[in-house]
Amino acid sequence: MRCSVSKLPLQGLRVLDFSWIIAGPTAGRFLAMMGAEVIKVGSARRPDPSSAGPAFQVYNQSKRYAALNISRPEGVAIAKRLVAISDVVVENFAVGVFERLGLSYEVLRQERPDVVFVSSSGTGHTGPDKDFVAYGSLLQHYTGWNSVSGYTGGEPVPGGLWADPWVGMELAMLAVAALNNRIETGRGQHVDFSMAEALSGSIPEAILDYQMNGRLPQPQGNRDAHHAPYGAYRCKGADRWVAIAITDDDEWRSLCRVMGRADLAGDPTLAHAEGRLKRQDELDEAVTTWTKDLEDYEAMRLLQEAGVPAGPSLDVCRVFHDPHLRETGFFSPLETSDGETHDLPSLGWRFDDGTEADVRAAPTLGQSNDYVYGELLGMSRKDITRLEQEQVIY
Amino acid sequence: MALGLLPGVRVLDVGERISAPYCARILANLGADVIKVETPDGDESRRMGPFPEDAPHPEKSGLFLALNLNKRGVTLDLESRPDADRFLELARTADIIVENQPAGWLDARGLGYDALRQTNPEVIVASITPFGESGPYAGFKANDLTLYHMSGQAHGVLGPVDDPESDPPIRAGGHQAEFLAGMAAATASLMALYRKRATGVGCRLVVSSFEAMVTQIISGLANCAYGQPAPSREKDRTAEPAVGGMVRAVGGLLPCTDGYVAISPREEAQWQRWLEVMGNPDWGTDKRFATREARHSNYDELWRLVGQWTQERSKHDVARMGQERRVACFPVNTVEDLLGNDHLREREFFVQVDHPEAGALRYPGVAYRLANTPLPLDSRPAPLLGQHNHEMFRE
Repeated sequence: MRCSVSKLPLQGLRVLDFSWIIAGPTAGRFLAMMGAEVIKVGSARRPDPSSAGPAFQVYNQSKRYAALNISRPEGVAIAKRLVAISDVVVENFAVGVFERLGLSYEVLRQERPDVVFVSSSGTGHTGPDKDFVAYGSLLQHYTGWNSVSGYTGGEPVPGGLWADPWVGMELAMLAVAALNNRIETGRGQHVDFSMAEALSGSIPEAILDYQMNGRLPQPQGNRDAHHAPYGAYRCKGADRWVAIAITDDDEWRSLCRVMGRADLAGDPTLAHAEGRLKRQDELDEAVTTWTKDLEDYEAMRLLQEAGVPAGPSLDVCRVFHDPHLRETGFFSPLETSDGETHDLPSLGWRFDDGTEADVRAAPTLGQSNDYVYGELLGMSRKDITRLEQEQVIY
Repeated sequence: MALGLLPGVRVLDVGERISAPYCARILANLGADVIKVETPDGDESRRMGPFPEDAPHPEKSGLFLALNLNKRGVTLDLESRPDADRFLELARTADIIVENQPAGWLDARGLGYDALRQTNPEVIVASITPFGESGPYAGFKANDLTLYHMSGQAHGVLGPVDDPESDPPIRAGGHQAEFLAGMAAATASLMALYRKRATGVGCRLVVSSFEAMVTQIISGLANCAYGQPAPSREKDRTAEPAVGGMVRAVGGLLPCTDGYVAISPREEAQWQRWLEVMGNPDWGTDKRFATREARHSNYDELWRLVGQWTQERSKHDVARMGQERRVACFPVNTVEDLLGNDHLREREFFVQVDHPEAGALRYPGVAYRLANTPLPLDSRPAPLLGQHNHEMFRE
């Protein structure tokens, strides 16, 4: 036995999640699956836009969901009572919205001095661009991320859903970092988070290259500055490709062996990356000649057995059916609010000691009202009913 | 006042290349005392660049410098017993050890989790692997390119293309998948550290880089779980020029005098405000563009007309004019734009650090500001190879 305890890491902590759409809810999802009690707070007055589709079912897994109309003063007063019994508060409204509702950090810390308050916005809560209207996929253009992504010589890629889920994980990371600090010092924290800066921080190579060499890094498709062959190669079938990335000379020789190309393996001008980079167009053709009659998964198998990094370029439904994910238990069958069972995802890490992530179906709006207002806040049934009728618990 | 959220937390970075060093850098940003353990040849990222004037130099790789800021560095030849013992001595002082060595590599040298927790029962070991330790791909290799493709990201990042048969899916720039695996390891490690502080129990945790990448597209997986097909990559077959996941916006890139601007006036009110931005052109009342559906059907013509207006203006002017009317609108910034950006300057996003070999450079800092705690973002440059050997191992 490796460890004697398999308690979930965040057991005993309570998170109040006022966030919506993707980034904030994703943070709460990580915290909930790792044992925190996450109470999502929202209102039918302005429903979470993601609740219109299946996405809601994953962004809000393993949470509770209480209805609360914080556009009403009585709703704000109840929100404060919930803050007082919570360890972490998460919000991702436009800058200033939460403050105008009367829920600034100064107010929150009066209710709960050691609260960890995580505020995420597009461009952060200070600076001349703080009020920019931002959607994640559009905001990515502001960050430099898209300027280095695209086909060689082509336009930047238009979108890609990267910023929001990435930020979701980073927000969870920061909440837990602040909780680690709190357990040592007793001190709470306010985190002012900028989604834009998170993405600009993920392209340091480009930022330093510009300073070192005065050039603007350009999109290079699938290619790599240091290695070749490196690309997505056509396989048998419509829109089927296998990604192959040769990162050292051994892998190059293995690739040649699998392709039956002793001539290339024996060519001394191709023995090292420098020479291969000079002739990459020609090598890409040679690889395609071999891959184009193979199934993508079969190409992966042949190459991986020879120690060459390779994998099929999958669309999201083929990811959903991928045999590896099916075998590792990444998906759990969950009975969702429609009464049906759907296979929904878990997390990208596991503990050796048998600690299992808490993976449950997403709640519906108001599902946890009795628990939150009755059990946690001690309100009477009568009061709850009145607040429901007055569209405060709504 | 102590700096950061993790003062007194010691982290050993036994990483190569990107994912584990990035994990350790996240923790260093937060104030942890990070010691990087390299082979005598140095981390492979020292050979990856970018380099000044493209001349490889082990102390001047931009990637290495950025990933290893605010760490101390030692060299150990873990193949030799004396150095392996030195490593175990260091491990005795560590709260978190993060590694991304090949499967079984540390075990084979007597430095696996069982050995580490004998010397330090509460230690947390975070292993970043390509595919985890079970399942058909356990033992397979992966890197940024293959992870980006296998996880479904490459199919989505481009949006629809003219011809999916000749326009391949692509990865994003940089090393996004490997960074993400590092972020996952940092997140899980801090959760394990919290549990250790509460219960005194350490553990080993294993990140599957593949599964971490797949959690980036859970909205798409939900659509599949509910029986929807994957979005087509073919432009003509998409219902609306969507740009990923559940965002189905009428929007895209427009040419400007100095690059591109990205706009998305997706709702009716936003579209009306966008027409105002353009000075209410005559064609704005054309019935071909009267509704969202109509604008989509006549997308090419509409985009041509809007582009005629934007291409006479700079991307920053167009973005500012749009934002003033509350239309989501951004310049497609280059890294040059970022380094001169007033907003980032006011938020002190970039951090200048002087390095004895590479000189003074401005590094991207962190995406967060903490109300109650200063951060140690510029405490030291990335270590020279073996720079702190004497300091760490003097008898």
